[in-house]
Amino acid sequence: MSLIVSLAAGAQNGVHAIAPSLASADNPIADFSDTPWWLSLIKALLVFVFLLINTLLVIWFERRVIGRMQQRPGPNRTGPFGLLQTLADGLKLAFKEDLTPKNADKVVFLLAPMIAGAMAFISFSIIPMGPVVSMFGHRTPLQLTDTPVAVLLVLAVAGVGVYGIIMAGWSSGSTYPLLGGLRSTAQVISYEIAMGLSLVAVFLYSGSMSTSQIVASQKSLWFIIPAFFSFLVYVVTMVGETNRLPFDLAEGEGELTGGFHTEYSSMKFAMFFLGEYVNMFTVSALATTMFLGGWQAPPGIAAINDGMFNQGWWGLLWFVIKLWSFMFFFVWLRGSLPRVRYDQFMRFGWKFLIPVTLLWVVSVAFIRGAQLAFFGESTRTATVIVVGVISLIALAAAWLWEGQHEAAAVPAERPEEIDPFAGGYPVPPMPGQRLREPSQQAERSLAGSTGHPELSDQEESRG
Amino acid sequence: MSACAEPDLREETDLGLVRLTRVSPYLTVGGVVLTGVFLFVAGMGARRLLAPYAPTAMKLTTYECGVDPVGDGWAQTNVRYFLYAFLYVVFAVDAVYLFPWATVIRSADLGMASLAEMGIFIGVLLVGLAHAARRGLLRWV
Amino acid sequence: MIASLSGLTTEFVATKINYGAVLPMLVVFGAAMIGVLVEAFAPRAVRYGAQVGVALVGLVAAFMAVVLAVGHQGSTLAGAVVIDGPALFLQGTILALSVLSVLAMAERFDGIGADAFTAQGAAAPGSPQESAAVRAGATTTEVFPLTMFAIGGMLLFPAAGDLLTMFVALEVLSLPLYILSGLASRRRLLSQEASLKYFLLGAFSSAFFLFGAALLFGYSGSMDLGVIAKAIGTQSGMDGLLVPGVLLVLVGLLFKIGAVPFHSWTPDVYQGAPTPVTGFMAACTKVAAFGAILRFVYVGVGDSRWDWAPALWAVAILTMVVGAVLSITQTDVKRLLAYSSIAHAGFVLTGLLAFDRVGVSSVMFYVVAYGFSTIAAFAIVSLVRDGGSEATHLSQWAGLGRTHPIVAGAFAFLLLAFAGIPLTSGFTAKFAVFSAAIGHGATPLAVVGVLASAIAAFVYVRVIVLMYFTESGGDSVRVVPPSILTSAAVTIGVAMTLVLGVVPAPLLDLASRSALFLR
Repeated sequence: MSLIVSLAAGAQNGVHAIAPSLASADNPIADFSDTPWWLSLIKALLVFVFLLINTLLVIWFERRVIGRMQQRPGPNRTGPFGLLQTLADGLKLAFKEDLTPKNADKVVFLLAPMIAGAMAFISFSIIPMGPVVSMFGHRTPLQLTDTPVAVLLVLAVAGVGVYGIIMAGWSSGSTYPLLGGLRSTAQVISYEIAMGLSLVAVFLYSGSMSTSQIVASQKSLWFIIPAFFSFLVYVVTMVGETNRLPFDLAEGEGELTGGFHTEYSSMKFAMFFLGEYVNMFTVSALATTMFLGGWQAPPGIAAINDGMFNQGWWGLLWFVIKLWSFMFFFVWLRGSLPRVRYDQFMRFGWKFLIPVTLLWVVSVAFIRGAQLAFFGESTRTATVIVVGVISLIALAAAWLWEGQHEAAAVPAERPEEIDPFAGGYPVPPMPGQRLREPSQQAERSLAGSTGHPELSDQEESRG
Repeated sequence: MSACAEPDLREETDLGLVRLTRVSPYLTVGGVVLTGVFLFVAGMGARRLLAPYAPTAMKLTTYECGVDPVGDGWAQTNVRYFLYAFLYVVFAVDAVYLFPWATVIRSADLGMASLAEMGIFIGVLLVGLAHAARRGLLRWV
Repeated sequence: MIASLSGLTTEFVATKINYGAVLPMLVVFGAAMIGVLVEAFAPRAVRYGAQVGVALVGLVAAFMAVVLAVGHQGSTLAGAVVIDGPALFLQGTILALSVLSVLAMAERFDGIGADAFTAQGAAAPGSPQESAAVRAGATTTEVFPLTMFAIGGMLLFPAAGDLLTMFVALEVLSLPLYILSGLASRRRLLSQEASLKYFLLGAFSSAFFLFGAALLFGYSGSMDLGVIAKAIGTQSGMDGLLVPGVLLVLVGLLFKIGAVPFHSWTPDVYQGAPTPVTGFMAACTKVAAFGAILRFVYVGVGDSRWDWAPALWAVAILTMVVGAVLSITQTDVKRLLAYSSIAHAGFVLTGLLAFDRVGVSSVMFYVVAYGFSTIAAFAIVSLVRDGGSEATHLSQWAGLGRTHPIVAGAFAFLLLAFAGIPLTSGFTAKFAVFSAAIGHGATPLAVVGVLASAIAAFVYVRVIVLMYFTESGGDSVRVVPPSILTSAAVTIGVAMTLVLGVVPAPLLDLASRSALFLR
């Protein structure tokens, strides 16, 4: 014991002695030195409460907004404006019978929702939700914790979270969940690469993977501007990562019933549900932190009264606003876009997102190099030249791409009349096409008679 | 200072952190994991207390759109999922190398050479991806 | 405390790279990348020509880069790569032998693609897909980039300055070879079995290597061979880890050279793999692996050799005896050559156990001599056909001396070289390793070596007798007229065997001049 104490004391002295030479940007800027362990515990509980309440709200919000988009009211009976609808649904789930299929692998079947539910919360512990505030007499940042590799932690946890899905799909002992689980895994790992690569540009600008450091380095300029392409890629991948429409191929109802959670009921199903929504908050919070300045006030407001709105609990307000605008975006997507076909989805990820993001990383590296005087002392000129060259290359590539597509896009000949069963399975007609009745065709080939014109007309009006 | 915090102090200094924290960040993360597991256990407990349990053979079969399932659900999997797993490993490892590079490029003495080297590194990966694409490995049929 | 802390928190320092020293590897890997691009984008008709051209140009350019790198010797990439005399000598050897191997692999007789390789490796043997691929004119031109990647790994293997780099090199050279072994155009099932066996056992031996490296890291606190060497003199409290670590690393390395008792893959893989690939493995892999063993044993852990050298003695004796004795019972030419290569690995190990500069130079000379002979031998095996497929059974070789005197003569000469008859490179090479062993207290090894050579000589002479003094069993066996490619490979191989037997002095000089490791 005494050895440990002396070691700790020695470590403290050593750290203080060399501290001035170590102003490294790798380390978190958030100062947790005045945060006792019980305050960390309280903050951890608050994070859970924050996420659970937000989940309850966002499900109601989603149903109301989609209702509006579809010109219907949405849930409006339980509580004021239907606010308690989600709570009622959650309670209902707790009262439902919990079934484990006979074929299932019991242990894994139970572990899967636990992983999906519990892992979802971890990432939020490194999200900075505000500046230093006063809590129970201590000065502590509105952030549970931070490490020099905080963003890697988020990516790692996202990787572990996939286990929940694949284990659920495999352990159910049923075909639909197995397919859903596999699809989902392929999807998540494909988009995780592009997500990780899109963040590299942010690290290039911030020089750190600590979230508090990243927020601090966006004081003058939010990274959405210099890393705009990364932001776009991230937004696409975050929808893919969370299995949300238009990328919810893992649970496409038309194809796979419920996907990986087909066999789940009661609280276990609720855990998957909870995990999905918490994940939405996590990726949105990460987007806020990485690209939208985190908890910092928008540029105009930040200047008012010498940065008054950038201090204390105000930060939480800006953070929540940014977070919820992403949630609205998620809901908006769901309300307006159809599901993507699986092969198109994978093609987009592997043949567009990944290579283009890699090239983007190289471009940003060169821009950073110019700013850091790799190409000579006059950084401004070098930056302008590098940006110009990159833009020219991008324009030329886009032009070539366009030309290729125009050349390829020769409109295919469309016959007036199609046989719906020509390919072996029914195909609906395109607009302006007539449908040939298969029975007529058979009749014609048998008896050599011509088709009845009035029947084709009928078909046309029906189609 | 409480006894449990001291080993964490050493861990902190090993990582080279300047500002001492009371609780190791990784310990905090571990605490969050435990709380999440506790949440799950609590949910399961609540369900046990509240929900009925009356299984029948019919209820315990797996779902196959109302038809009795044939065989067990563990079908052989198409190998194309496997290919994506391979490619994923390649690119995940690549990203692992990019992250530390991105955070140290601020030191100006790295200079042009590091940019060129990283360009080549990424170029090699792109060549591999192009080969895979041309060979039809990325075509999902 | 402060010192240890500041050691841990130093700022990132960029590594200096001596590009002149690593240029050979860069050239080879660059050629391999170009090969991948050719494979992806060139039309099928021009792929074969382009791939062979890229590979040969790359190898020749890399050889010239090795010659240039003589002026850039030193440790580079933060000690991960050490370019010194032995490294350069072995790299040059690997590149020269690789040129011959690529020539042999490129042989296509009158077909459209390389003859030894299947049209589509992924198609199940005898399946409709396979016949469709053959009809469509598919060719496996990937073998050339794969070979180049393997060569790149081989170049790095003897130049690795730390165990981690050595492991990476080991994997880079092994993974393409696993695939190449499975691509034979005939006897597909045998080939695929060979590939799988090689892969599984290779993965197993890699695990041994890694485990040993981890133990040595625990012992010395570093993967760097120089640091491990320094740690051997001092008491660290972890001394128990040293000998197990050394032995486990050696297991991983001895597997690659096929030393007994880690040889069981050799006959099966040599038999199943496409014959030119077998030649490539037998020659180049051995060179690279012996280079790595030399560096590990001489630079890294040589000071503790009294603790583990007995184990290596046992391995050397076993390898020579088992390789020689088991080759007597073989009825398949490729398996016979495989056991012969095991026996030769044993002979090389005796030179290695001299633990002296002479040992290094004799080992290096031996692998050059053996490499040229063995590539030529396997190239000749690929020419002797019976109705399209290779006639590898010994009985089919009966009477070959009368029907095809030139080919049989060349093969007989190579067998005499394997046996170590004077005026062939085999004699000078064996003389070099045995004299090194005798000069440095390993006389028993040399005695066993001579006895094993005598046993092996009996086997080789039996084959010669079979070719010249036995009636041919039937006239279906014939030698396919080779194109310029195989002819060149065989001619150069036989010529080098003769030259190194008659005037070995220049190469011996070069070997002994470059036998000094940079520590």
